[in-house]
Amino acid sequence: MKRFLLDRIDRLRDHLASQRPLFTPQGNDGSAELNWLPLTRETPPTATGRPRLPTCPAKQFFFPEREILFRFDGNDFKETLPKPTPQILFGVRSCDLCAIAYQDRFFQQDPYYQARRRATLLVGIDCQIPCDGGFCPTVDAGPFVRDGMADLVCHQQQDEGWLLMAQSAEGEALLRGLDLKAAETSRIDQRTRAQQQVIARFPPATHIETGIQRINRAEVPAGQWQALGLQCLACSGCTSLCPTCSCFTSYDRPAADGFERERCWDSCLYDAFQREASGHNPSATAGQRVERFWFHKFSDEYAKTFGRYGCTGCGRCEKTCPGVIGVHSVMKSISAAP
Amino acid sequence: MDAATHNISRIINTICPFCGVGCGIGLRVEQEKITGVEPLVSHPVSQGKLCAKGWSTAYAVDPIDRITTPLIKENGAFRPASWDEAYRVITEAFSTTIAQQGADALGVIACARATNEDCYAAQKFARAALGTNNIDHCARICHSPSVAGLRQTLGSGAMTNSINDIEKADLIVVFGCDPTENHSVLGGRIIGAKMAGARLLVIDPRKTRLAQMADLHLQLQLGTNIALINGLLQIIFANGWEATEFLNSRCENEAALRARVAEYPPERVAAITGVPEEKLIAAARIYTEAERALLTYGMGITQYTTGTNNVISISNLALVAGQIGREGTGINPLRGQNNVQGACDMGALPNVFPGYQEVAEPASRARFATHWQRPLPERKGLTSLGMTKEALNGNLRCMLIMGEDPVVTDPDQHHVQRALEALDLLVVIELVMTETAAMADVILPAAAFSEKEGTFTNCERRVQRIAPAIPAPGEAKPDWQILGELAGRLGYHGMAWPNAEAIFNEIATLSPLYQGMSYPRLAKNHGLQWPCNEQAPNGTSLLHSKAFSRGKGRLIPVSHAGPAEMPDEAYPLFFTTTRLHFHYGCGSMTRKSPLLERETPNGVLFINPADAQALAIKPQTKVRISSRRGEVETRAVITDEVPPGTVAMPYHFKEAPSNRLTNTAQDPVTKMPELKACAVRVTNLEAECK
Repeated sequence: MKRFLLDRIDRLRDHLASQRPLFTPQGNDGSAELNWLPLTRETPPTATGRPRLPTCPAKQFFFPEREILFRFDGNDFKETLPKPTPQILFGVRSCDLCAIAYQDRFFQQDPYYQARRRATLLVGIDCQIPCDGGFCPTVDAGPFVRDGMADLVCHQQQDEGWLLMAQSAEGEALLRGLDLKAAETSRIDQRTRAQQQVIARFPPATHIETGIQRINRAEVPAGQWQALGLQCLACSGCTSLCPTCSCFTSYDRPAADGFERERCWDSCLYDAFQREASGHNPSATAGQRVERFWFHKFSDEYAKTFGRYGCTGCGRCEKTCPGVIGVHSVMKSISAAP
Repeated sequence: MDAATHNISRIINTICPFCGVGCGIGLRVEQEKITGVEPLVSHPVSQGKLCAKGWSTAYAVDPIDRITTPLIKENGAFRPASWDEAYRVITEAFSTTIAQQGADALGVIACARATNEDCYAAQKFARAALGTNNIDHCARICHSPSVAGLRQTLGSGAMTNSINDIEKADLIVVFGCDPTENHSVLGGRIIGAKMAGARLLVIDPRKTRLAQMADLHLQLQLGTNIALINGLLQIIFANGWEATEFLNSRCENEAALRARVAEYPPERVAAITGVPEEKLIAAARIYTEAERALLTYGMGITQYTTGTNNVISISNLALVAGQIGREGTGINPLRGQNNVQGACDMGALPNVFPGYQEVAEPASRARFATHWQRPLPERKGLTSLGMTKEALNGNLRCMLIMGEDPVVTDPDQHHVQRALEALDLLVVIELVMTETAAMADVILPAAAFSEKEGTFTNCERRVQRIAPAIPAPGEAKPDWQILGELAGRLGYHGMAWPNAEAIFNEIATLSPLYQGMSYPRLAKNHGLQWPCNEQAPNGTSLLHSKAFSRGKGRLIPVSHAGPAEMPDEAYPLFFTTTRLHFHYGCGSMTRKSPLLERETPNGVLFINPADAQALAIKPQTKVRISSRRGEVETRAVITDEVPPGTVAMPYHFKEAPSNRLTNTAQDPVTKMPELKACAVRVTNLEAECK
C-alpha cells in the first residue's frame, strides 16, 4: 500500500471530514473529558504528545449498547437492519483497533454489526509515548498500529511531519485531492525503530506476564479468586468499557404496535448472567465470575479462536473499577506467590 | 430508536440521579434518545467510576412507560386531560378545603430525587401559596435523626468531612451501613483506602462485604447501638484514652456523659449486644489510637425508635475521641438519595425554612414573609407520617405528592393505603405509574433529571448542576414549573420564575449556606460545598475545624432502649430491611433495566443457614413472611451475611413489599419509623404444598 508524507495531521482530518461524517475523541462541551464525538468547528486540534485514551472504546459504533433487532406488530415481524451512512473514526489508537479486529471476528455472522462496520473507515494513530496505565506491548496490541488494522495510519515522525500509510483501497481513495508527497521506503525502517524506542519507555509489566502464566497453568487458588470476588460490586463498568467485551442479552419491550426485541450489553459479572430458570447457577459466586472474566481475557484457549488475547492492554478496567480489581490490581494479586 | 444509524450526536455532562454520592456521568444522546452513559474521569468524587445503577441510567429515564399528559381519574380509570382542566380540578378542591377546614387540611410531600429548585418550589408552594407548614419528604425515613441529633450536638446535621477524606484517614469506621451496596462508588473508595493500608472497623449486625474485609467486625444484635457506644465510651474513659485537651477546649457536659456511660461496663454491654468484651476493648483502642479516624454511618443508626439518640451517641463517641474537626476524621452520615441533602437544605421539612432557619423563630418567619410577600403560617407542620395519620382522622383532606412512592417505601403499607384512600383529593407529580400514582385522583407529568436544569446537593454538601440532555416527553415539565403555575391559579404569583437559575438565585439570597453560589460558579468547578458565603467564597470541605457550628460540641448522655417490637413465640425472628446495589428506592427507575431487574426479579428474603435448616428452606424456596401488620411472599436466599435469628429483605419490590411488615413505632423526636427492626414469622410455602 502507498505511503505519503503529511505536514499537519489536521489537514488530513479536514480533508476526510469534507467527504464523510467524522468522529474523533474530544472533550464534550470543552470539558476535560475525552469522548467519541462528531467533528465540529469547536473540535480542538488532534492532540499530540502523551496520548490519552477516550473514556469509552469505539465498540459502541458497531455494537451499540442498545439496539432493536426486530419489531412484531401482532402479524408480521419487521426487519430493523441498520442502513448506516458511511462514516470515519479518526484517531483510533492501536489497542482499540486490535479490539475492533477482535470483535470483527466475534460478530462475523452478525448482520447488524457488519452493516455498521462496513460503513466505517478507521484512521489509526501510532502512540509515541506510553499512556497512563496502558501495557499494549505486553499483549501484542501496540503502541503502533498493526498492519491491516486500519484503513489509514498516521505516524508522527521524529524529525517533523507525519508518515501517512494507506492500508486499504478505500482509505487510499479518500486521499484523492489531498496534496501529498510520496514517502521514501526508509521511513518504514525509521518507524520500526521508533516503535522499539517507545516500547522501551513502558514500565515493566512482569505482573501481567506472570499473571497470564498463572491463569493458563490454573495456578490461581480458588480462595484467591473468592477474595477478589468479594471486591466485585457487579457494577458492569469493566465489561462496559472493555473494548473486546461483547456479551449481550435481549428482551422484549412493548412498542407502538406490538413489541420490539432489543439487544443490550450484558455483563458476565452479574449473578443472573448465567443463572438458570431453576435458580441453579454454574457460576454462583462472585469469585467464580471474576475468575471467568479474566480467563476470557488471558486464556490461550480463546487466543486460539481469536488470534490474540481478549485483553488489548488499554487499562480502562483499572480506571473504572470501584472495587479496585481492574487488570493491574488483579494481575498483581495473582502473580504474587499464593 | 431508529435503527438506521447509531451516530452519537452529543454527550451531556451531568450528575447521576441515584444515591447521595453524586457521581459525574455523561449522558450519550443519539438521535434525541439517551442511549447510554459515560463516566466522567475528571469528576472529583467518582473519578471515572460508576455503580450498576449509574451505568443503567439510560433505562431509568427511558420514554417507554413515561406519563406524558396530565391524567384525571374517572370511575376508577385514568383519562388524559389538559393542563388547564387538571389545574382547575386541583384548584377547586384545594380552595374548597382551605375555605372549609383551613390550609392545614392540605399537605405536600416534596422529593429527595428532585432538584433543589423543585424542592424549594414545593416548600414555598406549601407555605406561601397554600399557607401551611405541612411539607415533608422522605428524609423523614432516612436521615431526619441525623439532622435532629447532630444539630443538638454540633449545630449542623450534615456530613462533617468530604468524600476525599476517605483516603486521608488511617482508620475508617463503617457503622450500620454497607456503602459498597448503596453508595458503591464511595464504598469502593473505602475498599481502595483499606488496600492502601488504612484499617477498617465495621459495626453491623450483618456480615457485609466490608465486614468481611475488615480488621475488626463488631456483629452487634439488632437495635443495640447505644449500648455498644456507651460501652466503648466506658472503656475509653476507664483507660484514659479520651482526647482530654479536645474535650476541655471544645466540648461541654463531659461529667454527665461520664456518669451515664459508667453504667455500661464491658460485661453488661457484651450481654446486651452479643459482642465479646475483647472486641469492644479492641475497637475502643483502635478508634482512640488512630491519628485520623473517619466514621461513616447509615440507616442502621437512624431507622430506629431511638434514631436521634443513636446519632447523639455516635457524636459522643467522635467528640470524646477527638476524631472530628480535622481532615480524615469526622461524622459522616451517608445520604440515601441524590438530593436528600438538598431537599433538607431547601426546607422541605415542616419545621425549617431554607438553610435550616426555624419556622418557630418569628424573625425568620418575618424575613421569608417579606421576601415572599405573604403572611406565613406559624402553626407547626405535619411530618409525612403525621399527614397519613391525620388523613385517617379526617383532619387532612388533600395531598400533593411530588415524585415519592410512600405506598412502597413507607412503613406499614396498609396504613399508608388507607390514608391515601381517605383523602378528598390526591395529586401526584410523577414520571411513571408508581403504586402511589395509581391511587391518585390527578397525575401531573414531570420532566426527568435528564430533561431539565437544576442542582443536586450530594452527601458531602456539594451543590452540583445537572443539565438537560433531551426535551421532556409529551407535555411533561419540571416540577417547579408545575407548582409555579398551580400557585398562580391559587392566586399566589410569587412563583412565576422564568427558569431554574432564577430559583437558584432566590435560594442563594435566602439561605446563608448557599449565599456565595451561582450557576456560573457551580459550573466552573464541579460544584461547591456549603457553607459557601463571604467567609468561605470557595465553599467548605471541612466543617467544625475551629469551633462547632453551635460553639462547643455538646455531649449528651443517652441510654439503651431495645426495639419497640422484639421477637416472641408468635413472631420468633428479628426482621430488618436493607438495600441492594442494583436498586434505588421503590425501584421505579432501576427496575426498568432488564439487567438489574434480572438480578432479583421477585425480591428476596435473606436468611441464615441455621434458620433455613430449621424451616427446611432451600435456596429459592418460596416463603411467606408475616408480622403483626401484614404478610408478603418471596423467595429465600440463604446467606450467613445475616446472623442466626435475623432475616432481612430489601424494600425495592412492590410485589414483595417489606413495608407491609415493618413497624410504625416512631422516634419521639423526629417521628422516624423503626424500619430496621420488628418481629416476623417465616413460613416455608413449599413444605405446605407437600
